[in-house]
Parts: sequence; C-alpha cells; structure tokens
Amino acid sequence: MDQTRKTIGGIAVALVALSALVAAQAGAPDARSVRVGVEARRPDGQPDMQGTWRPILGGTHSLDPAKSGASDFQERITGVVKINPSRVVDPPDGHIPYQPWAAELRRKLEAEYENPTRPEHIDSQTRCIVDVPRLYYFPTFRILQPPGQVVFVWDEYHAFRVVPLDGRPRLGANIKLWMGDARGRWEGNTLVVETTNLKAKSRLDVVGDFFTDNARIVERFIFVDPKSLTYEATITDEKVFTRPWTLRVEHRRMPDEEFWEWACHEGERDAAHSSTGINGNTGQK
Amino acid sequence: MPRRLRLGIGSLLYVGVAVAFSYAPARAQSGIPRTPDGRPDLSGIWQAFGTANDNLLPHSASKDVPAGLGVVEGGEIPYRPEALARRQENFANRATRDTEAHCYLPGVPRITYMGFPFQIVQMPDATTILYEYVHAVRHIYTNGTPHPPGPIEWWMGDSRGRWEGDTLVVDVVHFTPNTWFDRTGNYHSEALHVVERYTLMDPNTIAYEATIEDPQVFTRPWTLRMLLYRRVEPNVALLDYDCYAFEWEKYYPYPGL
Repeated sequence: MDQTRKTIGGIAVALVALSALVAAQAGAPDARSVRVGVEARRPDGQPDMQGTWRPILGGTHSLDPAKSGASDFQERITGVVKINPSRVVDPPDGHIPYQPWAAELRRKLEAEYENPTRPEHIDSQTRCIVDVPRLYYFPTFRILQPPGQVVFVWDEYHAFRVVPLDGRPRLGANIKLWMGDARGRWEGNTLVVETTNLKAKSRLDVVGDFFTDNARIVERFIFVDPKSLTYEATITDEKVFTRPWTLRVEHRRMPDEEFWEWACHEGERDAAHSSTGINGNTGQK
Repeated sequence: MPRRLRLGIGSLLYVGVAVAFSYAPARAQSGIPRTPDGRPDLSGIWQAFGTANDNLLPHSASKDVPAGLGVVEGGEIPYRPEALARRQENFANRATRDTEAHCYLPGVPRITYMGFPFQIVQMPDATTILYEYVHAVRHIYTNGTPHPPGPIEWWMGDSRGRWEGDTLVVDVVHFTPNTWFDRTGNYHSEALHVVERYTLMDPNTIAYEATIEDPQVFTRPWTLRMLLYRRVEPNVALLDYDCYAFEWEKYYPYPGL
C-alpha cells in the first residue's frame, strides 16, 4: 500500500467517522464539505459533482502497465518504451491476481489479439461495446444527478449508466446486463457503487484481462476537490482471481462542452475485417 | 445516514403524488410535477405502446403484428410521386434494408416508439434522454444555443429544445438519410427536419407529437401523435437491449469457463 493510498484510506476513515458524527447531529453544517472543498449540494442533498470528467492518463490497451492504444502504437514506431505504473493498486505488486488457469488464458489472449483466429479473440471495444469498469479509464464522461440517482453518460459509444441511491432490491440473478445492476450511496463526498448482474462478455483491456459474470464490483468515486476525482474499483470473482483486487484511475474535471453524436456500430467494419477467415466469417457485414 | 433517509422520504412523497392522479385531462394543466425553475418535470421512465414502429399508418393484423389505428394525422403520408416508388421498393426489401435489422441507431422520432422504455433526465440547460434500445442517448440543449452549422449527418440528428408554455418543443436537424420511420419503409432524406412536442397532460402521461418536414420526399409537412406512458411499477429501471451484440454473445464467455 503506497503513501497516496494510505492518505486516501485515512481520509475515507475520517469521512466515515465524520458521517457518523453528522448523523448524530441532523441539520448541523457538514464539516466534510468544507474540509475537502466540495460544498455545493443538489436539491436532494447529494454532493453536487455534476459536470464533465476525464481520466488524466486514459487508455485501455492494458491495465498492467497502464497503457493506451496510442502509446502502444508510438512505442512500435519509435522503439522507445515508456513504462507507466500499473493501474492495479492492490495487490501492491500491481498484478491482477489470476488463478493459474486464468493466467494461462490471459497469456493466450494477449498472444492472439493482433492476429485473431477465433471470434472471442477480438476485443469487445472493437465491437462497439464498452462497459464497467473499462469506461472509467479512457473516455470523457458526464455526471448528472437527478433526485435519488447518479447518471453517467459517455458520448463515445453513447453509453450510459444509471445508479439508483434508494436502496431498491437487486434485480433477479438471471438478468445479466452490460452495465450490471448498480446500487449507490454517498459516504461524505465519496460515491460508493456496488454492482452485480454483470454480463461480463467483454474485456477489461485490449490485451485480454477479464472476469466472468460471477464478478462483483465495488467502486469508490472519491471527489477529492471540485476538480479532482479518484476512481477505484475493487473486483471480486472467485472463479478467476485468487483474491479481490483494486484498480485506480485519477480524473480531472473538464470544461462542459456539448456532447455530439459518436456512433460506432453503425460504421463499424474493423471487427468484420479483423475476423476475416475466422470460422467462415467472410468479413461482410 | 440522514441523507439517505431524506432521499427515501422524498421519493415516497413523489410516488404518492404521482399515484394520486389517475385521469388524463385534455390538455396541459396545473396538477403536474414541476422542476424548481417552474417547468413541467418530464423526468422519469416512459414508454410508447402500440404498433407505430410496425406501421405508422392504419393497418390490419398480420403475423406477429397487431392491427393498428395509425398515428399519422389524416391517415396518410404525403409522398411526392417519385418518392412513393422508393417507399414501395423499401417495403419489398424491408427485411434487409431497414436499419432496424442491423440494430443501427433508429433516428428521431422512431426511437420514441421502438417500444422500449426510455428515461428523461431534465436539467435546466439540457434534457438528456437515455433509451434502453441500443443504449441510444440524446442531449436536447435548452440553453438557447442554435444547431451547429451543417452539413452534418448524424443518426439521431441535432436536438435543440425550447419551452412554449408548458410544452417542450424540440427542433431536430442534421440527419443521415439511412433511417426509416417504421418497418414498412416509410423514409426520409438528409433534409429531414423534425419538430417534437412533449406536453405533460397529467403526472403519468405525455402527449407526444412530431411534425415531419422533408421537401425532397414529401409534398407538405405531416404530423404523428401518440401518448407516452410513465412506467409506474415499483423499482422500474432501464435494462439493456444491445441487439448488435446478440450475435457475438455466443462467442463468450471465454473457452474454459
């Protein structure tokens, strides 16, 4: 556990303690908001985090080390390799704690992604679906906070995600969704989201990190100040990993610009081309 | 936490108000939910029911399609003579030519009556609509900004809204010529101009109309009308219908799982 994490952990503990204090003094001014510089409130009492956010270091080529497709491309052209830290902050070694069989599959997927020989070798982003948590480490997103909900909207992939805060019951276990079934709550200026019912038929990055529909994700959106968001996702899947693990992505607030249409599937031809010859696929749409 | 408690009570009050109204008056009136800035509050999950996506015009029943009264004012779409031939050709080739068969973004107004629920998130500067169908999203800017200069061809067009009294009026331009209005091949060109009107008639009903103007295809503007119903079931939520991914679901999960 590095120093930053300890600090954030410390703040989180302090916030939990403070929220208990505030709970005991309903109506008292909320010291937390002054402490971390987030004072605005939505009409329903949520900390007001509406606006546009973007990862400081975006990219979905790989999680470990954190690498974007663009930087991967640059590496191949220039031959200069710049190793970023892993996005994985727990375990401390930065590696996703795969079970042996899963580590083997993960290695195979990385070996295959450039020259796929089976449809499942093709990364899900190429097929125009990106889901949780992958959407939080590359594109710009907007937060909307209607009463009782936090809504995330991405212009890329026209993705959206609605997180109810009302503690409603979970969906039936047989319902699997690309975005999963999310339930959120505010702990001070941290939004905690617990997600189940994940379809999990996609990947965490281009090189093939993955989980199954058995996975549960606990995300913490830590609004450090009005312009800074620390995103953490802890993923638990006993079918794939030896223990829960956590990735972290720092975001900053961006100017509120209009979101314009970003259609993907409508013009998508790459997957068909890249899969030419796979299982009789002719490459025709 | 107190905040969660307040949220819970707020939601209960809201549902209580919504349930108290059970009839639909003929026009917009005062007993409707409103936002803090006094506008009618369209927020919530809505759905159109009926057979508009099968056929906008009055039609008999056929396999898997109930009969329908039609939603077009006057019961006919005023095609230019040369455009009518294209519409008939579309109908003959509808199984492959309709972009719905490819799960493409269906355009406006068709997205409204695809038959799937959608959620309106209304804010002062923009109203965002989240659609369960292929997770389409529209941002309807209501901050007085104009359409960006074209030519632009977007599947869902560019939407700019304004309030006329208690009606949200949305002007939509910059379309691709690829989408249709229904499964029978009713179509438009890239010159399509749509004006939608959303009027809350009571807490659970929106009167929806869309006026279609496209001088390349039609001899005059024409209008379709339908009601949008609030989904009032407890815990109703948008699920997903990512039809373009159905085919490749069979490739996953990964072998060995």
